[in-house]
Amino acid sequence: MKKMMTKILAGGLAASMVMGLAACGGSTKAPETTAAGAEPTEAAGAEPTEAAKAAAETVASANGDVTLRISWWGGDSRHNATLKMLDEYMAANPGIKVESEYGAWSGWQDKIATQIAGNSEPDLFQTNWNWLWQFSADGTRFADIKELSDFDLSQYDQSLVDLMTINGHVLGVPVSSTGRVFYWNKATFEKAGLEVPKSFADILAAGPIFQEKLGEDYYPLAAGTYDLTILLTYYMQEKYGKQWIENGELNYTVDELADGFDFLKSLEDNHVIPTQEKLTGDGADSLDKNPNFIDGHYAGVVEWDSSIKKLVDALDDEQELVIGEYPADYGTPATVYKVSMGFAVSPNSAHKEEAAKLLEYMFNGDGVETLGLERGVPASHKAQEKLEATGALEGLTYEANKTAAAHAPFQLSPYYEDAALKDDAEGAYQEIMNDMSYDDVDSKELAQSLIDAVNEVESK
Amino acid sequence: MSNSGTTSSPNNFWKENKGFVFIFPWLVGFLVFKGYPFLSSLIYSFSDYSLFEGISKWGIFNYIEVFTNKKIQTGFIITFKYAFMTVPLKLIFALFVAYILNFKIKGVKMFRTVYYIPSILGSSVAIAVLWKAIFKDDGIINMLLGFFGIAGPHWLSNKTAALFIICLLRVWQFGSTMVIFLAALKGVSPDLYEAASLDGAGKWRQFFTITVPMITPVIFYNLVTQLVQAFQEFNGPYIITAGGPRGATTLVSLLIYNNAFKKYAMGLASSQAWVLFIILMIFTAILQYSQKHWVYYSDEEA
Repeated sequence: MKKMMTKILAGGLAASMVMGLAACGGSTKAPETTAAGAEPTEAAGAEPTEAAKAAAETVASANGDVTLRISWWGGDSRHNATLKMLDEYMAANPGIKVESEYGAWSGWQDKIATQIAGNSEPDLFQTNWNWLWQFSADGTRFADIKELSDFDLSQYDQSLVDLMTINGHVLGVPVSSTGRVFYWNKATFEKAGLEVPKSFADILAAGPIFQEKLGEDYYPLAAGTYDLTILLTYYMQEKYGKQWIENGELNYTVDELADGFDFLKSLEDNHVIPTQEKLTGDGADSLDKNPNFIDGHYAGVVEWDSSIKKLVDALDDEQELVIGEYPADYGTPATVYKVSMGFAVSPNSAHKEEAAKLLEYMFNGDGVETLGLERGVPASHKAQEKLEATGALEGLTYEANKTAAAHAPFQLSPYYEDAALKDDAEGAYQEIMNDMSYDDVDSKELAQSLIDAVNEVESK
Repeated sequence: MSNSGTTSSPNNFWKENKGFVFIFPWLVGFLVFKGYPFLSSLIYSFSDYSLFEGISKWGIFNYIEVFTNKKIQTGFIITFKYAFMTVPLKLIFALFVAYILNFKIKGVKMFRTVYYIPSILGSSVAIAVLWKAIFKDDGIINMLLGFFGIAGPHWLSNKTAALFIICLLRVWQFGSTMVIFLAALKGVSPDLYEAASLDGAGKWRQFFTITVPMITPVIFYNLVTQLVQAFQEFNGPYIITAGGPRGATTLVSLLIYNNAFKKYAMGLASSQAWVLFIILMIFTAILQYSQKHWVYYSDEEA
C-alpha cells in the first residue's frame, strides 16, 4: 500500500510539474485581451478603456492632477535630455505628472506591440514610421493628430504630414527625417596613412591596407545585416538609377540584384567589412556597444544621421568621427531617407488634450531647446527657428542630415522596415545576409530570396 | 470516504470542506493565470489568430504547419539536442558534487552554500549578460586560452559552440539539483556502507552498488523535473545569442516567442506550445513507465 502511495505521489508531482510549467508557457502565448481585432470597435475596446479611464480619473480627482504615461526608445543621451525636458515641463505645469518608460531599441518593438494589442499603451509614445502601417493599417488604431487642437500641425511640411497619414488620419507627429550617412573614424584612417575615403574605389582599396598596416582586426567599415541591406539599396539605387521599390515590387531583376550581392561580397573579400561571424562574436547588441568600434578597430559606419550622436558619444577620446562624402563611383548617389520617427497619441488615453499639449511643448514649444538634436534635426519650423536662434543648429547631426536630404532622390517604402524583413532574429534581411556571409550562397539565389521576401511583404 | 453524506449536519459540512477556504487564493490564481491561458491557447491553436488582425479561419492547419515547416522542425531538433546534452551533464555533475560534499570535510557547510549560489541567481537576466561577456571574442575565456597560446573559437557566433555555452549556463546552475541529491545521500543508511566495507568493497563499488540504487527515486525525480525545465529553456538563448548564430540556438520556446510577439501569429505559436507540451507529456509518461525497471523504492517488499 505504502509503495503505491509513493509511486502515485511521485507521478503526481511530476505531472503537476509538467502541467504547471506548460501552463506558464501557455500564458505568454495567449494574451488576456481577446479584444485585439484589427478594427478596435467601440464594443471591443470598451471594457479595458473604460476601466483605464475610471482608474485615471480616480487618480486625477484624488490628487487634483493628471498623470500622463510617455514612452520612447533611444540611447543614454536621448534619455537624459528627454527626462530633463519632462522635469522642466512638470515644474512649469504643477497639475501634470508624467511617468516615463524608456529603453534601448532592441526589443522595443515587441514591447510596444504587446501593449498595443492589450490596449495598454502609454498616452503618448515614440513610434517608428513603419509601425503606423503595421499596427494601424486602416488608420484608426492611433489617435488622429489633426483633431487635437492643442497641437500645431501647421509647423510641419505637408509632404511630411502626408507620410504620416493613412486613410486621411494623421497618425503621428513627424518628429524628424533622417537618412543613412557614411561616417569615418579619421584617427584610424590616419593611423593607416590614408585620407578618409571619398569613393567605393577608396573604400575597397583601404581594406587590404588596413589589414597590412594595422592588423587583421582592423576594418575600414562595420556593417551588421541591416546595414548591409541599406548598403545594397544604396548601391542599387545609385548604379541603376531606380527606386528600390516601385508599385509594391522590388524594382530589380535577379541579375541586377545579383550584381549588388557580388558587390557586398567584394566588400567582405577585400577585408573592408568584418564577417557576420566576427561581428556576432564581438558580443555587442549594436555598434555603439561594440568595443571594436569604440576603440577605433572598426573605422567606419553607415548610420542614420539621427542616431549618430550615440555612436560619437561611445567613442574613445582620441577617436574622431567625420561625415564622409557619398561615394559616386557608379552614378548619382541615392541614399535611404525616411521619416525617422513619430510621436503618436493613444486613442484610449483619458487625457488626449493634455498629451497634445505635452507634444506641443516638446516639438514646437520650450522643450525644443532642451531636446536639441536628440531625435535628429526637428522637422517643425518653429523648432528649427528656435534652435537656429540659439546656435544649436550645427554639428555632426545637422550637417549629416543636410547632406542626406540632398542625396535622397527616391522615396522609401513604409514596408522597407517591416518586422518580417528587418527583425534581427526572424527577419528576411538577416537571414539572407547571413546566408551570404556564413555560407557564401550564390548571388543569384540570394537575389531571388530577397525579391520573394520583399514582394511578399509589399503585397500584404 | 465516509458516511458523512447521509448524516451530515451543517457543522460537519464545514469541518470537511474548510480546506477549500485555505486553498481558495491559490485556486483563483491558478484558474485565472494558468487555467484560462492554458485553455485559451488550446482554442487559439486551432485558429489563425493574429494579434492585430484577429481570427478569420479555424482548422488544424497550424498543426500541419508545425509538422511540415522545416524551420520549426529544426527548432525541435535543437531543443532535443539541448535537453539531452544539458540534463545528463547537470545530473552527473550535481550528483558528483553532492557526493563529495557528503563527506565530512572541514568547512563543508561553506562549500555547500557556495555551490548553491549560482542556483539562487536562477535564470536572471544579469547572469545571461555575464555569460555573454565571458564568452565573447575578447572575453575572459578566450583571454585565458590566449595565455596558453590557444586561439579560442568565436563562442557566440560558432554554431556548435553557441549551443554548448547555453547548456553550460544551465549545468553551472546545478545547486538545487545538488541539494536534493544531498538530502537523498544522507538518507542512505550507514549500515549498508559499513557492511560493504567489511566485505571489502572500495569507494567506487560502494557508490555504484549501494549509493546509486538507493537514491534512484531521487534521480528519477530530478530527471523528470530537469527534463521539463530544459525543454522550456528561454532566457539563456534569448539574451545570450538571440537564437543565433544562424538559428543554431533557436529552441522551440524562442520560436514560440518569435511567432507570437514578432510575427503576431498567436495561433501558430499556441499550436507549437501544445506540441511541445505533448512531447513533454510523452517523455514523462515513458519515464513513469520505465521506473519500475530501474527505480528502487525501499518500501517495495517488506
